[in-house]
Amino acid sequence: MLNIIILVFVGGAMGAMLREFLMLSVPKIEGFPLDILVANVVAAFLLGWVTALYKRNILSGDVNTLAGTGIMGGLSTFSSMVYGPMVMLGTGQTRDIWTAIIYLLASIILGYIAVIIGLKLGGSDMPQPPVPMPRRDGA
Amino acid sequence: MRALDVVWVGLGGGIGSLLRWWAGHVTGQHYHPSRFPLGTFIVNITGAFLIGYLSELFLVDWRDRYGTPLQAGVLTGFLGGYTTFSSMELDAAKLSNAGRTGYAWFYLIFSVVVGLAAAWLGVALARLQH
Repeated sequence: MLNIIILVFVGGAMGAMLREFLMLSVPKIEGFPLDILVANVVAAFLLGWVTALYKRNILSGDVNTLAGTGIMGGLSTFSSMVYGPMVMLGTGQTRDIWTAIIYLLASIILGYIAVIIGLKLGGSDMPQPPVPMPRRDGA
Repeated sequence: MRALDVVWVGLGGGIGSLLRWWAGHVTGQHYHPSRFPLGTFIVNITGAFLIGYLSELFLVDWRDRYGTPLQAGVLTGFLGGYTTFSSMELDAAKLSNAGRTGYAWFYLIFSVVVGLAAAWLGVALARLQH
């Protein structure tokens, strides 16, 4: 338990600091939070990759907790992703509203593609064994 | 950005990530693809509410994400570590791999729409307190 707490805390701190450095290095586009989008898509790709390697027993559970739960969770963010666009939607300006919609759609679509590529690169497209559906016959 | 900002972001990110892990732990350690990814959804929606509420209450522009302990430690660090985009996308990929691609996209769009509404609610609540 203490082990997990340390791994998640250290990983989360590293991920959040990495995101902050990305925010400084990604070119600024006025009114379009490209830095958050880049951090999120990179984290989604790496999480897919780490998850696949973990499922194939190439990475240990501890590495998966540190990198997957900690670093990728800290690197990616949902709160900042929705808050900027929410403010843009609130301006009522047509240009801002479209920017917000395109930004959010681009984020979830690119993130989805990134996680799938990460899973495939790690050699797995089935990160979770199927769980039996509840039977309907009451048996 | 100063070195102290990095410390605040790291500290907040570590604490936020722990809270996210704990929330996932209590909502069910074993995630079933046939069900709704509740743990990730709860942290993301509550995090969106908090970023709206705190940004409006302390009048922080959404583009200013470091410079003070509130901006670096709480908004960028804690809420960034607490909420997650990568796990949301992995949840969607798991649903898709379980043969539920339509549900996976519903989950992604539903998360974003409810997240926007939660952030708006946070802003509205903070405005009442001004």
